[in-house]
Amino acid sequence: MRMSHVRNAVAIGILFVVIAFIYWAVPYFGGWHLDYAGVTMLAALGIAMALMAYVLVAGSPRE
Amino acid sequence: MTDRALTATAHGPLDELAHDERGGISNPILGMLLFITSEVMFFAGLFAAYFASRAAIAPWPPTEFEHTLEPLGIVFPATVLLVISSVTCQIGVNAIRRDDRSGFIRAIGITLVLGIVFLVIQIYDYGLLYSHGLTLASGPYGTTYYTLTGFHGAHVFGGVIMLAVVLYRGMAGQFSARHHDAVEGTSIYWHFVDVVWIGLYLTLYWLR
Amino acid sequence: MATTAPALRPAATSYRSGLYEWLTTTDHKKIGILYVVNSLIFFFVGGLLALGVRVELAQPGLQFLSDENLYNELFTMHGTVMIFLFIIPILVGFGNYVVPLQIGAPDMAFPRINALSFWMLPLAGILLLSGFVTGGAAAAGWTSYSPLAQDRPLGSPGPGQDLWVTGLVLIGTSSILGSINFLVTIFKMRAPGLTLFRMPILVWTVLVTSVLVLMATPVLTSALVMLFIDRNYGGSFFDPANGGDAVLWQNVFWFYSHPAVYIMVLPAMGMISEILPVFARKPLFGYKAFVFATAGIGALGFSVWAHHMFTTGSVYLPFFSLMTFLIAVPTGVKMFNWIFTLWRGKLTFSTPLLFALGFLSMFLIGGINGAFSAAVPVDFALHDTYWVVAHLHYVLFGGSVFGVFAGIYYWFPKMTGRMLGEGLGKIQFVIMFIGFNLTFFPMHALGIAGMPRRIADYAGNAGWNDLNLAATIGGFLIAASILPFVWNVFVSLRSGKPAGDDPWEGNTLEWATSSPPPPYNFDHLPEIRSERPVFDLRHGRTKPAATLPDPGPVSQPTH
Repeated sequence: MRMSHVRNAVAIGILFVVIAFIYWAVPYFGGWHLDYAGVTMLAALGIAMALMAYVLVAGSPRE
Repeated sequence: MTDRALTATAHGPLDELAHDERGGISNPILGMLLFITSEVMFFAGLFAAYFASRAAIAPWPPTEFEHTLEPLGIVFPATVLLVISSVTCQIGVNAIRRDDRSGFIRAIGITLVLGIVFLVIQIYDYGLLYSHGLTLASGPYGTTYYTLTGFHGAHVFGGVIMLAVVLYRGMAGQFSARHHDAVEGTSIYWHFVDVVWIGLYLTLYWLR
Repeated sequence: MATTAPALRPAATSYRSGLYEWLTTTDHKKIGILYVVNSLIFFFVGGLLALGVRVELAQPGLQFLSDENLYNELFTMHGTVMIFLFIIPILVGFGNYVVPLQIGAPDMAFPRINALSFWMLPLAGILLLSGFVTGGAAAAGWTSYSPLAQDRPLGSPGPGQDLWVTGLVLIGTSSILGSINFLVTIFKMRAPGLTLFRMPILVWTVLVTSVLVLMATPVLTSALVMLFIDRNYGGSFFDPANGGDAVLWQNVFWFYSHPAVYIMVLPAMGMISEILPVFARKPLFGYKAFVFATAGIGALGFSVWAHHMFTTGSVYLPFFSLMTFLIAVPTGVKMFNWIFTLWRGKLTFSTPLLFALGFLSMFLIGGINGAFSAAVPVDFALHDTYWVVAHLHYVLFGGSVFGVFAGIYYWFPKMTGRMLGEGLGKIQFVIMFIGFNLTFFPMHALGIAGMPRRIADYAGNAGWNDLNLAATIGGFLIAASILPFVWNVFVSLRSGKPAGDDPWEGNTLEWATSSPPPPYNFDHLPEIRSERPVFDLRHGRTKPAATLPDPGPVSQPTH
């Protein structure tokens, strides 16, 4: 898995969006208390991480 | 010139941004992009508080404020103007990339004016809402509304300052097709401010 | 084996620069030293605050503090100062000094923002501490839970809490700017040949730490501004009396503060990873595993925050307990890798290695007692007791602080051109190690026996007297160990043994230039073919820089 491939770097952000989804889905379908604040922060983290990883890898020198 | 050859291999959204000799995007622009990711997380905390409050309180909006936030009120033209200002900002960036300095100055000037108009409308709207009884102290509904829109407005204000500086420097002849990092950085920030507003508008006024 | 290091000119800089130079510098090396010195000053301040706490707790009964609220101010400011004005900035300071050197860069990407980031800290420190003279410092714990932190009579009505909020917003901004600086520097300014997987582990840990700072600190800022609005503008975020939710504060606060603990430890782990190979004369075991473990800790660190909130009743317990146990996995990988680095190495027990060994053993204990707390039923019993105080100090003091002292002894020669005295260093280590364990080990028993945190006094018949007295004696031993350290620094600055370029036979690029380095860092860079360029040079695997063709002017951005 080459670090310098942009899509591999963005995977870290996708990971958090997936975690956010799990964090929403399990309590929602399980009938437990839903932590909207946590879901929001995790989802935003995924977006921010993906953006950050993308600009760092795509914006790096080519060598 | 030689910059293009170094970046010939990848084709992505960052290709048009100013590049340095070793083939990466220039340091100040990369710095601005990273700063934006941190700002996403700042608004994430505020949105988290909004969604938590909204889920915990019924009815939401509270009955006395059921129709206070009108999505097609004065906030709608303000939104349209802000979106247009992003378009004009990008027009300005594309102009300076082509070395069209007068086109760049015109477009950034229009962007600046639209940004100021947005702020004026926002302040006027706050006055209207205050007279309807919605204040910072109106329970979680009021607090979250003013905090979210207020911090967004502060970011717009920061963006207006940046646009003004860029406009001034542009008129002083400091930018060219080869050197205009500050313009790129400012426009990236301005687009971010616009995207946050769209998210805010849809959440606060439509989703409710 | 003949060394083939090129003859370098003596250092072209001297630190006898005037006050004006230090106040206005944008040189990452001077800024790094400013960070370290400023942080050590706040370490002493935080330590004095802790002594205040320990003196009061040594025996049952309120002996010295007439007012329990002053006790609350002491432990609140102790925690706040230690976290935000000592440990985080000192690690940033070492990163500032060492990272550009280790990647062969002439400075950080944004030198003026670097200076701004530093100078915000003493200002913020003054703001925070000025509460003591303006009617009372913040007293709601460093965690500042609502409604205690709210502006109401039984809460925190004075200016101290507002000063706390503003001070922390300043510090957070300083951190975020610094993280952007590190990320751009690391990704854009590495020397030719220094690929990501040839970077020293310290640079990797600073990279991951910077990601954590960039992503998490703004969330703290948002929580702080919401608290400020609650306190001063009639807001209703967290105050139940106004319709707010006190648990919401905890949620947003810990979303930052949990990644914060990794911010506080990862660079120290990076420093250990530099020191162990040098003093064991063996390469670091499992470099790639280290990198992925560090990234894994960083990522997992974002999904465990509510383990600080298990007892609130609003937390999805199995998710957070599972994630918390999972973090032990990459941490364990690192532990094994450090141990295997030492295994069958040729060890030299200099002070940096002693502190590194102290880190390994004490952090291990901290990790184990943390694993206990990850089990929800155990946490229900131990939450807010002295068990937690034991855990946090074993990882933060036993871990990070020992790591910091290892770094100080290791890089002081590079920064100043002089060695720190080994005798005094060993004395400091022994007294500090014994004092630290005497202070904090008894707290495990105190926690299990039920002694709560953050209490100014306790009943004499609870059975806690002896352990508290022992902890106080330990605290004074720690304080005593600072004396040989300070003496060592002053004496060595004046007449320590001259260090030369590479006193430890190091592996990484900072040892390929003079001590201290010239302002532009390097006259010539050695060839870079692995993660140990200076080792390679010393053993003839790469050619000396003087024989290489001149690479031409250093690459600069377009303007």
